[in-house]
Formats: sequence, structure tokens, C-alpha cells
Amino acid sequence: MGEEALNRLRTTEPVAYLAPSPELSSLTRAASGHLYSSLLPFCPSKPPLDHLLSDQSFDAEQIWSQIDLLSKPLLPFLRRQLSRLEKESKLQSSLPGKPLKSTGKTKKDEEEEEDNDEELGLGDEEEGDEEEDDGEEFEDKDEEEGEDEKGEGEVKDKAVEDKFLKIKELEKFLEDGEAEEYGLPTQKKKIDQDYQDNGNETDQDKEDDDDDEEDALDIGNLGDDSEGELEEEMENARYEDFFGRQSNKGAQKKSSRKKVKFDDRPQINEIEYEETDDEIENKEIEYQENDDETENNKKNMSTHEKEVAKLRSKIEDMERANLEPKSWTMIGEVTAAKRPVNSALEVDLDFEHNVRPAPVITEEVTASLEELIKKRIIDGQFDDVQRAPSLPSKAPRELKELDENKSKQGLAEIYEEEYAQKAGLATAPISVSDELKKEAEMLFKKICLKLDALSHFHFAPKPIIEDMSIQANVPALAMEEIAPIAVSDAAMLAPEEIFEGKGDVKDEKELTGADRKRRRANKKRRFKAESAKRAAKKPRPTTDANGQ
Amino acid sequence: MELPSSSAMETDANVPPAAPPKPLFQALKPHEMSDGKVQFRKIPVPSHLFAPLKRNWMEIYTPIYEQMKVDIRMNLKARRVELKTRQDTPDVSHLQKCADFVHAFMLGFDLCDALALLRLDDLYVDSFEIKDVKTLRGEHLSRAIGRLSGKGGKTKFAIENSTRTRIVIADTKIHILGSFVNIKVARDSLCSLILGSPAGKVYSKLRAVSARIAERF
Repeated sequence: MGEEALNRLRTTEPVAYLAPSPELSSLTRAASGHLYSSLLPFCPSKPPLDHLLSDQSFDAEQIWSQIDLLSKPLLPFLRRQLSRLEKESKLQSSLPGKPLKSTGKTKKDEEEEEDNDEELGLGDEEEGDEEEDDGEEFEDKDEEEGEDEKGEGEVKDKAVEDKFLKIKELEKFLEDGEAEEYGLPTQKKKIDQDYQDNGNETDQDKEDDDDDEEDALDIGNLGDDSEGELEEEMENARYEDFFGRQSNKGAQKKSSRKKVKFDDRPQINEIEYEETDDEIENKEIEYQENDDETENNKKNMSTHEKEVAKLRSKIEDMERANLEPKSWTMIGEVTAAKRPVNSALEVDLDFEHNVRPAPVITEEVTASLEELIKKRIIDGQFDDVQRAPSLPSKAPRELKELDENKSKQGLAEIYEEEYAQKAGLATAPISVSDELKKEAEMLFKKICLKLDALSHFHFAPKPIIEDMSIQANVPALAMEEIAPIAVSDAAMLAPEEIFEGKGDVKDEKELTGADRKRRRANKKRRFKAESAKRAAKKPRPTTDANGQ
Repeated sequence: MELPSSSAMETDANVPPAAPPKPLFQALKPHEMSDGKVQFRKIPVPSHLFAPLKRNWMEIYTPIYEQMKVDIRMNLKARRVELKTRQDTPDVSHLQKCADFVHAFMLGFDLCDALALLRLDDLYVDSFEIKDVKTLRGEHLSRAIGRLSGKGGKTKFAIENSTRTRIVIADTKIHILGSFVNIKVARDSLCSLILGSPAGKVYSKLRAVSARIAERF
């Protein structure tokens, strides 16, 4: 009864499912109950129910939950079986399908399908239920038919392919789902050309349709479920299996776009024709810049459209360039760390030269230089450095010359003279310089004056004979007047003439602590140096001439 | 004759007796000061000074005997000059001065220089040896002596002239004649020369010092 129900479900038109019918409902219930009971023995942990309670009174949700109870422990078990079988199949060489149990695998496929169906999240529960049941039915059918038809070791490329694709397709579907969620471009494998639903439906719906189409197809293509054939599927996999045919790629991509597109270009391609049909209902306008599309449609554009397209592409390029980080030459201040190695050598840099470039020596330059030299020599105009005349700040202080001859007067006479001077008996000479010298000087000056007067045409006045005198630091008025009317403290000499101090002259009381320390340190240093020198001097080898 | 004292004493029992007049003594003469003893000074004469002494005897003798009023004689046998106070020697210091004068001559000073000793009170003779300053031996000693004198004695004369002293360098002994301050300056210069400073340095110091000394008067 259950099998019959399954068969009938399979044969009904898909359109019939759109409208709810009690007959279909009862059929599905029966079919699901049959499936349940057939799967029950394989479950590792027994579910609480022996058979599916799928009367009319039960809700779709309730039936679903019962099925879920069964499937939950079953799936991992099947997966483990599958992996084990895979390993075993790899160990064996490429042998044709071994007589292994394929039930596990098919069960797995079924469960995967079921999972897929669960993930789809179909709207109408009943419909979904029906669809799911359909899926189950189909899978079951596949299994049965596969078992019936395929002997072990029989390989049908088409069937294998489809099987292989199915698994792969499932994976791809999952990836696509994720990608669409995150807005990444999807890589939709080409499955079938006939069913290309594009902008109208949401992608998920479309993918659902694809899935359903797959299922429909799979019914037609019954594949062997043996583990050995999996290997052969791998070997015989073709590019088209993965990536589909090139001509439909663009259309597929376009179809896989999240955004709803409005394509107002004339559609020549069969696929695009279909697209336009579908998209007329679409109100949203969004221009797309699909590379594949532009390649396809360039010959169809008018001149204006071409120009516009060119402009747009230019604008896009410039915008992209603006968004990117600039090259190091355009940044501004760049250190060596911020630019690639030796990059400054390749760029033509412009910078200010603060140094005048060395002059190029030519014959003319040399000739001019030599002319200048000759002229200067003739004129006698050498740029000699002239000593700056030092201004005498004050009258030259008389230096007492040390008499290195034996004094003519005896000591007694010297003191005698001194006493006489003090007592005022004899006049003492003011300056101590040699009398004879002065006399000679005076005579010579007189002679020179007379000779100059004779030889020169212009008048030369008498030279001023400066009298060098010692100015003693004696009270001023004492020198001027004998009988001082008033007594003054003013001294003859200015303070600078008495003492010319260099630097900061500090009195003993004005010295700070640091100054005192410094002074003491200097004294110590000097003393140490001196004592060291003395110590070094002491052990001198003395040649004893007299034995002393 | 009867002494009227008793009667006077008897009669003047109420009136005290008249005190004897205060004695008025004259200043003691030098030879009386020492209780009439005569003071001597004996100055030995070195052998190399016999001839100069003989030559200059009259110049020595005259001021001592005439102006200082001190007896002087030469004891040839004992090779010394002896000085003795006379009765009319005005002051004890005269003898000492004469002794100093003769001693200065014996040290080697010129007569005219030594005469200053007689005339001025505050002149002294200071002696020291080179080894007092620095222990030098052999050639170093010779060099030091050379440094002290200078070429042709010019350094020594420079010091003498600038400090108004007289210097006698007798081998390793140095004698300086002059006033106390001048002796000090001269001694400093000589010591620095002995210790090795060049003459130029000593000259510059001398200049400064002598200018200061000259400024005082």
C-alpha cells in the first residue's frame, strides 16, 4: 500500500501539488508511513514509535516531528557507515562495484536530501511536507530502483555522473546559500539549461526550483549506489560537471545576482530572451556592469551608448584610483622607510641647489684671470691684509729698566742720596730712564726737524714732544699746590689706572660656597701637580765630578 | 771739733734734719757702664783678604777711629782685627757697628758698601748657603751658582740695583747687605734662581717689586 502510494505520488503532475487535495494528502500520509516503517530497522537507537501516526487527525507538524525523531539518530550512523565504506573502497584498487551494501549510502543521500529540504524552509507547510515527502519518495525510489537495476560492478557514466553531481551540487548549493547571505558572487554550477529562472524569484526560491529539478532529473537517471562507483565518478568527472558550459555562464551569473536587474538591451541570446520575458514585470532599475555582459553586448550598443560606457568606465577607474592609497611620490613628506628601496633613484627629483656650481674652466676664463693678475701687479694693488692700528687706551706706562751693570755708587752713597732727597736737600729726577738716552733723543729730533724743514716744500710743524711721565697715585692737590687750601680725597690716577681687573673680581666676602670650593680645588690641583713634578724631579741622576 | 750734730739734734729735736741734696749723676760713659771695663771685639781675617785689608787699611781705620771713636788694631800673629772701646766712645753700639763693618768687609763686601753699615742703623747682613735652599751637587751646583751671577754678573747686579742691596756670592755662601725688606726681596729672588727659575722671570718680579718700593718714596 505504501509503495503504491509512492508510485502514484511520483506520477502525479507537479502542478497538482500547488492546490491542496485530500487525495494527495492521504497518499502522502500513506507513503510517509511506509517509508518510516522501512527505515525503522536501520536506526541504531529505536524511536519511541513503531510506526508513523499519520492519520487525518494528525497535523503536518506532528508528522514531521515524528519523522525527525527517526532521522536524527539515523543520520550520523549513516555518515559513519559511508566514511568507512569510502576508506575501504580507496584501499581496493579500481575494481568494479564490489558487492557492498549500498543501503547505507542511499540512506545517507536520502537524509541529505531531507536535510536540504529542511534547510529550504519552505513556506507552505503542507506543501513543504508534500515536497519533502516527494523528496523522500524519490530518494526511496532511487534506492529501490538502484538496487534493482544495478548489479554490483556495473558502471554507468551517466548515472555515476549524476550521483556525483548530486553530492557536489548539494555542497555547492550550501555554499551559494552562504554566499548570498554575505553578498559574495556565487559560483553556480551549470546543471540544466532548460530551467533558468532569473530575476523574478528570489534566489532561494530559484534554488529550490533547481533542487526540485534535480530531483526530477534524478528520477530519470538512476545511479548505482555502490561505493566502488564513487571512485569512478571521481575519475570520470569532467570540467562541465563542475563549471557548466561557458555560454550559459553569464546568464547564470546574472541570474545569481542578489539585486534585481532590469535589462533593457535587445536580447538575442536564447537565454536572455527568457530573461527579458521574466524581467518585464520587474520594476527596479539597476544598471549592471557585468564584464561578461558587456562583452556580449558591445556590438549591439549605439555610438552614444558606447561613449557613455567609456566615460563610465573611466569614471570608475578614477574613483577606484582615488580610493586606493596614493603612490609614495604623491604623499608629501616621505622618509626612506616609507618608500621602497632605491625608489628615489628611479624618480626624477627636483631640489634646490644651495651651492653655486663649479665654474667650467675654459681658455677664455684662464686668459681673463691672467689679465687681471698682470694688471694688479702693474698697479701694485695687492689686497694685502693691513694690521688694524691699535688705539692706545692710555698713556704708555713707563717700564723701569733693570740696570744690569755694577752700580757706580756704593750702597752708602745711595742711601745718602735717598736721605738727601727726603730731606729736600737735593732734587731727585722724576723718571728713572737713562739721562743720556733722553739727551741723545732730543738732539736727534732737533736735527730731523731742521732737515725736514730744508727738504720738504710743505710746512711741517714742530713735532710735539710728549713727555712721558710717571703719575704717582698721590692726592691730586698735593702735587699742584704747596699750601693746600682745601684737602681733597681725589686721587691723580683713575681707578682703572690703579688696577685693571679682568673678569669677575670678587671680594673675599662676596665669594659663594661654590666659588670657595672651586678655589680650593684649584689650589689643591696646582699643589698636587707641583708636588708630583717635584717628586718626579727628585730622583735625578747626578754626575759626581767632585764626589759631592 | 765738736760735732754740732748732737746739739743740733738736741736743739732740733722738733725739726727734722735737712735731707741731703739729690744726687745728680751725669750719664755713664760706655766704659763706665760696664763698670769701667773695656769691651773688645775680635774679627778673624781670612787668608785671601790679607792683601785687600792691607791695601784698604787706612780707609777702614779712619772712620772707625775718628768717627766711631773705637780703637782698632790688627793682630797679625793671631790674624785678626781687634776693636776696643775708648773712654770717649759715645755709645756702646758704636763698637758693635764697627765690628759689623769690619765683618762685612771680611765677608767680601766693598768698602763703600760696608760703610753704609756704619752710617745707617737698620742695615743688616744676611747670610745663607745654597744647600739651605736646595741640595745640589756637582754640576747642578755649579749651574746654580752660574744662574745666580748671570753672564758677567748681570743678574746679580740687576738684583742689587733694583733692591738696593749688595750681594756677595762666595762659592756656596751668599751674603746680602741691605735693609730688612730689601734683604727679603733679594733673598727671594736668589732663592728662586737657585731653585731653577729663569732669569727673565726673576727680572719681571723684580720690576714689579722695585716699582712698588720706589713708589713708597
